[in-house]
Amino acid sequence: MKTLMLKLEPVIWMLFSSGMMIGALLLPVFILVVALGGGFGVVGGEALGFDRMVALATHPIGTLIVLAAMALPLWGGAHHLRHLWIDLGGLKTDGLVGFLCYGTALAGSIVAILAVVRLHS
Amino acid sequence: MSQKLKKTFIVTRFDPDKDEVPKTQTYEIEVEPDWKILDALNHIKDTVDPTLSHRWSCRMAVCGSCGMTVNGEPKLTCKDPMSDYGDTIEVAPLANFPVVRDLVVELEGFMERFQEVKPWIMVAKERAVEEGTTQQSPDELADFKQFSMCINCMLCYAACPVVSNEPDFIGPAALALGHRYNQDSRDEGAHVRNEIFRGEGGVFSCSFANECSEVCPKSVNPSGAIQQAKLGNVIDWATSFVVKRGGDVS
Repeated sequence: MKTLMLKLEPVIWMLFSSGMMIGALLLPVFILVVALGGGFGVVGGEALGFDRMVALATHPIGTLIVLAAMALPLWGGAHHLRHLWIDLGGLKTDGLVGFLCYGTALAGSIVAILAVVRLHS
Repeated sequence: MSQKLKKTFIVTRFDPDKDEVPKTQTYEIEVEPDWKILDALNHIKDTVDPTLSHRWSCRMAVCGSCGMTVNGEPKLTCKDPMSDYGDTIEVAPLANFPVVRDLVVELEGFMERFQEVKPWIMVAKERAVEEGTTQQSPDELADFKQFSMCINCMLCYAACPVVSNEPDFIGPAALALGHRYNQDSRDEGAHVRNEIFRGEGGVFSCSFANECSEVCPKSVNPSGAIQQAKLGNVIDWATSFVVKRGGDVS
């Protein structure tokens, strides 16, 4: 497991860093606009209507953004948790913790892909 | 002469021949306001307790010998002004290193890590003298200059949470030094160093706590170097499937 993680480290780090970037920059704005702005009626009406949102999410670029916004922060979180575990002295169980963290992120990413595919059908 | 101040120094002592564990010793001394921590330690050794052992040399933040833990933080004691502290100052050896005696730590195993990253300019073919000097623009120099300012004081190793947990971690200063050569336009050995960077204890072991850059007395920014090296390695790894890597360099 450890050797595999070492081999995949560049891929994982890429997913992590892009996930952290999206999580730090994109998601707060998304939550502000859609959840709070929409919820309090500041942004709204037609702009956040169901049909419009579905059209946005099923557009090729929109699909990619929705997928990235759902899947990548999971990898960001997984990688962070694994390293936090190591920093707290859990190096001996790194293989297991890494498997659990990245396994969860992978499972979440698959669910995200399935959810996006369903939007198109 | 300026007014002298009274300070209490709580210094960690350890004699491997007598002590099982380190203990502390308290010294109450008078100091000049403009003294550095190292001046006070030298004063203690010269006038109060000649058995105190600590390492120092240049007294001007160049040699990197006098790194110690002052009030819990890794500091270069020759650069650390007394005025930054209150009446009580605790001085201990650098964390994450085996202690030889009192405030002196063993650097041997750590210094070898600098060799691991091949910190020299590697080229496929030596440039002939007749070809003249290698040209380098100010921009090319700026790519690595900051990372070449390290004085090997090892404060970053004492501050790094990964060093304390992962015995194989190459560590901040050595990785920054390797990256310095990868950034050098004269160097052709990045593919060799990147293999080391991607290996066990390489750049991806870094959890970006940024403590190394916080404590660095020369503003080298090792954590910045390591993050750049991570991105460089992702690109290098991804393109290695398409573009054949360079041949032998030395």
